[in-house]
Amino acid sequence: MFAELNSILNTSPDNFKAGEFILVSDKQTDASFLIHHFLSFYLRVGCKVCLLGLVQSFSHYSAISQRLGVSLAQAREKGQLVFIEGLKESLGVLLQGESSKGTRAVDFLRDPSSGLQGLYDFVRDNVRLAVGGSGEEWGPPVLLVDDLSVVLSLGVSVGAALDFSHYCRATVCSELQGSMVMLVRCEAEEEESDDERSEWLLRGLIHQCSLTLQVQGLPTGYCRDIHGQVRWITLSVWKRGQCDRWPTQKKLFQYKVHDKGASFFARGTFSAVL
Amino acid sequence: MLLEVLQGTEAGGFILIQDSVNYCGRHLLKSCINTALKREEVVHVLGFEVSQEELNDGLDRTSAQRLHFHNAYSDPLGWTGNSPFTVHQFTLEDIGTLLKQTPQAKAVTLVIDSLSWILRHHDPAAICQKLQALKKGGVVRAVIGLLHSDLHQRGTVGSICHLATSVITVAPGTRGLGAVAKITRRTKSGKLMQDEEIFSINEDLTVTIQSKRSHPGSTPMNTDESEVDPTANLTFNLRLSDTQREAKEKLPLPFVFSKEKKSALLHPGTGSGRILYEPDANDDYDQEDPDDDLDV
Repeated sequence: MFAELNSILNTSPDNFKAGEFILVSDKQTDASFLIHHFLSFYLRVGCKVCLLGLVQSFSHYSAISQRLGVSLAQAREKGQLVFIEGLKESLGVLLQGESSKGTRAVDFLRDPSSGLQGLYDFVRDNVRLAVGGSGEEWGPPVLLVDDLSVVLSLGVSVGAALDFSHYCRATVCSELQGSMVMLVRCEAEEEESDDERSEWLLRGLIHQCSLTLQVQGLPTGYCRDIHGQVRWITLSVWKRGQCDRWPTQKKLFQYKVHDKGASFFARGTFSAVL
Repeated sequence: MLLEVLQGTEAGGFILIQDSVNYCGRHLLKSCINTALKREEVVHVLGFEVSQEELNDGLDRTSAQRLHFHNAYSDPLGWTGNSPFTVHQFTLEDIGTLLKQTPQAKAVTLVIDSLSWILRHHDPAAICQKLQALKKGGVVRAVIGLLHSDLHQRGTVGSICHLATSVITVAPGTRGLGAVAKITRRTKSGKLMQDEEIFSINEDLTVTIQSKRSHPGSTPMNTDESEVDPTANLTFNLRLSDTQREAKEKLPLPFVFSKEKKSALLHPGTGSGRILYEPDANDDYDQEDPDDDLDV
């Protein structure tokens, strides 16, 4: 959990907004440090977290969370964390090719045109279980997806990915009053310019979400002290009493990732630069 | 013009609100819904993108019974098996069934939030046909749709815009002044009117127009200051009288080789200087004129 990011986003362990769909996108850099932030934040707050890991193994998240002061193994044992190991599930399908083995979650690997309904059913069952389960009282459910754009390279269409995120939002945010954080990675522009599917996916998701954190490398190139910039865009979630004539707020911050966290600062104010 | 379009009372109208990721058009859509409710009309909403709570938030509570929200948000594709309304039910018959819920209504406005959702799952040509049929059919008096223009190909967006009687394209304004709306309106007689206005939406969902921009992009130059004459109010005279001006214009310029100058040089007049040359003993005096071969 990065304390500076909390103050920027105006949240804290005692006071955070439920029912939010936070979109994290990156271009020419790696924004997965934000996923680790949200993971440790929501675990610390006491929410029931469902992490859909499509690109990394459990030990990867565990090792990084250890440095942030949260033990994923313990959370999993207590039942606070449900980890959907996309990589392991997909092995069964890709290597053996047996249709009976494995859950329906990775059905899209066998037949990409069928969409992500199987994955949604799997996620929904796990999240609903989190809410209705007996035992300790956890906070509102949280779904973390890392990352959604990988399904595009597995043959799933942009429409199917947008349908999946819509259904997740309808279930997690609206029905269960929980939160959702999704990571989307965009292709860099110098690569095949005719493949704009990740851009379409990003735009579709921005229309659905309430808060976007766009992370990109510095436009001037690599810098040792500043790793990139984060653009924070709050989209218009019209709540009574919020008389903003300017519903969309955009703020820009630069950041640097350390061993145990990340520091955020306004553009041009990093101490090494001043 | 924006307020006129929002008040829009003509039958057979199709108002299209186009937005992009930079500015969400849903507030303007809610403003339209509120205006229709205040006009005592019955409003049916096909809600694909946001939930009922989110859409109702901010709308006029007193006319809530005239607003019918058809929930296509929780299960638009029928994945759970018991969906109230799916995207595949966007047909004339099914919409007619929905509208039969309020048979006594005289004026029904159909609001579609959003058309982008439907366009993702249906062929654009088929959607255009259905929208045209809805417009002309007389089942609803007006259709209001929200479209995310950056989620579709330009041709698709163009086709839908072509069907609309009014198109409002919203974008964020510059300098924090509110949002900019570009309005294109087609009257029944075929006349096309365009306008651009800066507006903002208040908490009660009424629209305030802040200023009109009829020529987008150009700021009018302020020429209220007339040019100051620099030769006035001086202690010395910088002006010329007419005779002085004439004499000045007649004066030949120093390096212009005019005819008069040429003849003056070649034929020196009497009394002008003569050069007397006494050659020395060492001088090589050549009697020939070196300029003889010049053809002047």
